[in-house]
Amino acid sequence: MHTAKQGFRAILLRHETILLFVVLLEWLYFNSVGPRFGSVDNTFDIMRHSVEIGLLALVMTPIILTGGIDLSVGSLLGLCAISFGKFWRDAGMPIPLAAACTIGIGALAGGLNATLITWLRLPPLIVTLGTFSLFRGLAEAITRGADTFTNFPASFLFLGQERWLGIPAQASSFILVSIGIWLLVHRTTFGRSFRAIGFAPEGTRYAGISVERRLAMAYVLAGIIAAVAAIIYTSRLGQAKADAGMGYELFAITAVVLGGTSIFGGIGTVHGTLLGVAAIAVLNNGLVHARQSREVAGMLTGLLLILALTSSIIPKMLASLKTRRQTLATKPIIT
Amino acid sequence: MKKHFREFSVAAALAFVLLGLAIFAPAFFQPQPLLSLLTREAPTLLVACGMAFVIISRQIDISVGSQFAVCSVCVGLLAAKGWSLPLVFIASVSMGAIMGAFNGCLVAGLRLPSIVVTLATMVTWREALRWQRQGEFVNLPDGLQWLGLSQVMGQWTLILAALVLLALLALATKHLSAGRFVYAVGTDAEAARLAGIRPQLTTFSVFVFMGALVGLAAMMNVVQSPQVDPKSGSGLELKVIAAAVVGGVAVSGGRGKLWGVFFGLLLLACISPALTHLHIEAYWEKAIQGAIILLAVVADGLRTRKQRN
Amino acid sequence: MKKIISLIVVAGLAFVSGCGKSNSSSGGSSNVTGGKKITVALMPKSKGNAYFISCKKGADKAANELGVDLVFDGPTDPDPAKQNEIVENWITLGVDAIAVACENREGISTALRKAKAKGIKVVTYDADALPNARDFFVNQATPEGIGYGLMDEAARLCGNEGEFAIITASLTAANMIEWQKYIEAHRADKYPNMKMIALRPCDDMKDKAQSEATALLSANPNLKCIMAICSPAVPGSAEAIKQAGKIGKVKLLGLGLPNENKRYVHDGVTDSVILWKTEDLGYLAVFAADALAKGDLKPGDKTIKAGPLGELQIEGDSILLGKPFIFNKSNIDQFDF
Repeated sequence: MHTAKQGFRAILLRHETILLFVVLLEWLYFNSVGPRFGSVDNTFDIMRHSVEIGLLALVMTPIILTGGIDLSVGSLLGLCAISFGKFWRDAGMPIPLAAACTIGIGALAGGLNATLITWLRLPPLIVTLGTFSLFRGLAEAITRGADTFTNFPASFLFLGQERWLGIPAQASSFILVSIGIWLLVHRTTFGRSFRAIGFAPEGTRYAGISVERRLAMAYVLAGIIAAVAAIIYTSRLGQAKADAGMGYELFAITAVVLGGTSIFGGIGTVHGTLLGVAAIAVLNNGLVHARQSREVAGMLTGLLLILALTSSIIPKMLASLKTRRQTLATKPIIT
Repeated sequence: MKKHFREFSVAAALAFVLLGLAIFAPAFFQPQPLLSLLTREAPTLLVACGMAFVIISRQIDISVGSQFAVCSVCVGLLAAKGWSLPLVFIASVSMGAIMGAFNGCLVAGLRLPSIVVTLATMVTWREALRWQRQGEFVNLPDGLQWLGLSQVMGQWTLILAALVLLALLALATKHLSAGRFVYAVGTDAEAARLAGIRPQLTTFSVFVFMGALVGLAAMMNVVQSPQVDPKSGSGLELKVIAAAVVGGVAVSGGRGKLWGVFFGLLLLACISPALTHLHIEAYWEKAIQGAIILLAVVADGLRTRKQRN
Repeated sequence: MKKIISLIVVAGLAFVSGCGKSNSSSGGSSNVTGGKKITVALMPKSKGNAYFISCKKGADKAANELGVDLVFDGPTDPDPAKQNEIVENWITLGVDAIAVACENREGISTALRKAKAKGIKVVTYDADALPNARDFFVNQATPEGIGYGLMDEAARLCGNEGEFAIITASLTAANMIEWQKYIEAHRADKYPNMKMIALRPCDDMKDKAQSEATALLSANPNLKCIMAICSPAVPGSAEAIKQAGKIGKVKLLGLGLPNENKRYVHDGVTDSVILWKTEDLGYLAVFAADALAKGDLKPGDKTIKAGPLGELQIEGDSILLGKPFIFNKSNIDQFDF
């Protein structure tokens, strides 16, 4: 049965492989339309522009793997950005200390989500819908909407605007986080339990795994990484304001789902998410080179999402149709 | 009482807010502004009812805001072309139903997760509309506002229409088999199928119904002013989901009462004007809204936790 | 399966490229050298905003007259990071000049300085960036001018005393925060008997503005005037005043487009709408960007001859479009935008 040919076909039909083809296709197409699309500068631009959303998508992956969701990450990015500004400008902290405190805020906020979700067993969708408003509201209330933090030292702006070892400085932290989360999800028993929880939370509990602790860990991690994303965002723009990261949660979720993670949990990979981020980032950037307006990028993203979902579902449906036909065929024999 | 604890507690919270307003800002209870407030919320109530059905059937629809905008602009353009009121009305409702059917096909037909499908359609409709219209207002012909009635008559008509529809829907969930199918499918689709219900058909119908309600709501919103803003309806999905959940609809499906949703919506709709009346600065509004949603679910969580232990 | 998907994606992309061909011909390959077509990239604060569409009409006109290749794009959501990304994309695309209406002063300046360093000419219009990040600012009105103008007009309508409220787009909109600062400064300075009692955001939506105005009217019986400082808020507030039956008792003024407000101005609900000629603004932004790229406009110039707009003054590094207009019953019908 399992010939090499069939194994190859299985790999080819994998969601990640298909997505890789889509990214390559996008790349080739835009490269043929925009002469400067394929340049090194532009490639780095794509990287720099997708780091924040990429980070959010990365930490969203374990959460969705457990069957949960976190709508609050974009708002939390905003809250962390202004907290960072506050710590640095108003409390007079040096940048590293301010960054550490900001990450603390992120962890606390993630902890709030985690507590409500695990201790009270509330649905993540609703809890994070509430904190989505709460975090953004706090950011607006603290700064009264108007306060903008700028004039950060050049050493800090380096992180978001300059190159380090030949690549954009923030890309290195992104690569680091990617590797970390990939190892966590795919190479540790701890991380693998995320998928187990997504498949069958009760079953996982009976298997002796502390479901609550692991769920909590996923949400706290999301808070911490949202804070890191906030710091990179602030450095890239050179400003922090209460409107930072608005709508980023939807981009992150889109990237994760596009990357083949099932929204019901249990199925999905971190590299799939990275490909999902790439597919969206290349599309957004490439359409500028193809002289298309932003609306088209939004429409195509929506379309791509539906296509990706359909592609993963159709083989299954065909298979189930086949079994049903077989059952029908065997029916008369039984009766 | 115990069975409807959640619904009663929302009603109690609403009563509490209203009582507070009566003491600290009695100006809130002037008839004309109150009538205006209710009229503004009448379309939202319909969308919230539709959303309640969607959530009860264990699905979600986050594309309603975009559908609302598309329907509103369609109403505006058709009316400006000279279509008569009933025709525009039919067009709006069917436009909504078509968009709902699109969601329904993908969710029920291909069994795709509704949150992702509607995320995709939300973005697609909204961007397509912006691409086409570029944000320009649509000016409506005279006589369309308030359906050609006087302002007070028009406001009462809209409010009563929404309330009558709410009552009919609430009765239907109780006494019509179609209404009970929704609960059955949301509780356990497989059991429902074995009991002879067709879960996919039910889900599909729920989405179509949701779309039709959005079309109707868009129509009811458009007739309240002489212009259509193509941005109208953005953020509507979050508002109605919050209203449904605060009103006691369980996101795990199968549970929820329309009158709970009604109180949930009123509670959320009161917050913003209440803050204006209490002269609280707008900077706190979003935080307070978030806190209220959290409080509602935490209260519920604490109660079920006690029951568990 | 893979084949089907690839086919669909290719078809989608082909469709897009088909659309693309119709509105752009030279691609990103144009250059200043060799007398080729000049490419000017024009960015609104956000897409889907009627104000900028009207600016674009003027910009298209200028592009046609001057033979400029015009790229028009901007963020769809009020996300301050998106403007930076698009500017950085344009830098790689190799446009000759960029004209931006800035959403966030400091943030966008980071990207604009980069563009300047690459030899791209930078013009700002509508809302300025930091001065060292651009060559010229096409100045339709300073924040000071707008703030003072609104306050003066409000005081005139109210008879120099009484309570007023402001409806803004969002609490974080940078230019509106700036205007509010000048409104408040001018009030404290000139009209101490006027009192600002509330500031409400309307999320740039007419419906929300109507709800907010309704609540303001009932919560503040002594309210004499509403100042709507984003364009959807003006018709929204007007509808609220009309429905509350307070026409004439509560004055309404704001920044908005004539076409959206004609009806209410004629009904006597809206007293004055303040705006400049947006088409001229778009025209001038493209004109100045083109002149800069060609070398016809240099720092230190005192005037610029901008086609049908005639000779315009340059003060320092801002090109003055002229004073804002006040539209009211007597003149609003003369304008169509």
